[in-house]
Amino acid sequence: MNLKDPESMNVVIGRALRYGVILSGAIILLGTIGLLATNGLSDASGMLTYNANVVPHDSLDVSLGGLVQGLVTFSAFSWIELGVIVLIATPVSRVLISVFLFAAERDRLYVLITSIVLTLLLFSILVTPFIPGFHA
Amino acid sequence: MFIVEFVVLMFLISIFAGVFGSIVGLGGGVVIIPVLTILMGVDIHFAIGASIVAIIGTSSGAASTYVRDKVTNLRIGMFLELGSASGAIVGAGIAAYANSPVLETIFGSILLVSLVPMVMKIGEDIPKSPELKGASKRLGLTGSYTEVDGKVVVYNATRPVEGLAGTAVAGVLSGLLGIGGGAFKVLSMDLGMKLPMKVSTTTSNFMIGVTAAASAGIYFARGDVDPIIVAPVALGILIGAAIGARILLHSRNTTVRKVFAIVLAIAAVQMILSALGVPA
Repeated sequence: MNLKDPESMNVVIGRALRYGVILSGAIILLGTIGLLATNGLSDASGMLTYNANVVPHDSLDVSLGGLVQGLVTFSAFSWIELGVIVLIATPVSRVLISVFLFAAERDRLYVLITSIVLTLLLFSILVTPFIPGFHA
Repeated sequence: MFIVEFVVLMFLISIFAGVFGSIVGLGGGVVIIPVLTILMGVDIHFAIGASIVAIIGTSSGAASTYVRDKVTNLRIGMFLELGSASGAIVGAGIAAYANSPVLETIFGSILLVSLVPMVMKIGEDIPKSPELKGASKRLGLTGSYTEVDGKVVVYNATRPVEGLAGTAVAGVLSGLLGIGGGAFKVLSMDLGMKLPMKVSTTTSNFMIGVTAAASAGIYFARGDVDPIIVAPVALGILIGAAIGARILLHSRNTTVRKVFAIVLAIAAVQMILSALGVPA
């Protein structure tokens, strides 16, 4: 594929989004099957109420270590979580890929624009959750 | 209710949400949030967490088709993301000090008022395209797509600065409340930049995934993304978005505008209800 052809940008971005969606959908589906097989006939009501600042379920740990632990022990919750992370990462990768695609088109203005968007996005996802006073 | 019942029910409702969300460019949150809070008795925090995931799913699921078929304008989308991404950070930063009910009343009222020009344009199929000049020209905010009858529609954007300001407002709203950004994006492109309706809704659809991803980190870290709720929502939304994208490509701008006007009215009322304390 010739990346200098403007048409190829639509093809590449379209594919990136499709692969991200298929991968996350497949992982979430696996997790859901696991969830229904193990807990399908449990009562759902207790799991839908919220305790502020408390992780909702005993078996859910949102830290990275907890996630990895859950994945290797085949916790359905952790696999669903992984699928959701892939889903969140899909638009982020789309922005990253566009930076390179605009660079291949030698479109400096849009390399700058997409780089700023990517920086703002990564700051927002990775940094702001740890700034006190944000999102209160 | 058994978990299996909840999962199957939410899966089916989410397909419906994905179909509408992908056509109007707002994501599925407009449907998902009231269904979860009012029908299912789910806490609003979990509902917003699920809505964020639903918006990302609708966006990526439908955009893969819209981008391939070139209805979405990539340059306009990425230029406007400057506004929505910075707005989202500002919104998250002021959330602690902002009076949400007041803001929701203001934003909800703006959406209600914007129904007027929307309804006045209800019969507009393809807008008279303005001349490409000034900042729009330097930014390359022009494009073309093929209509259902095979005709190639060429269009130019006007007033990019106003469009950027509108999407910055959309970003603030998303960062602040986790919801509501899509409507302002579509309105900025339709009323502000004079783009064809399908270009506006599909380009908004393209952008909302990035805006929602910007706030996803915090909802995730807080534990607002409940796997039991999010799993059926994500699966249903992805299927619905794929169906919705195919429907949009076979619809005329006039039809898309009518559906958007209806969903806009619902979103406006929801936001005002939420200000009054109804968790919709």
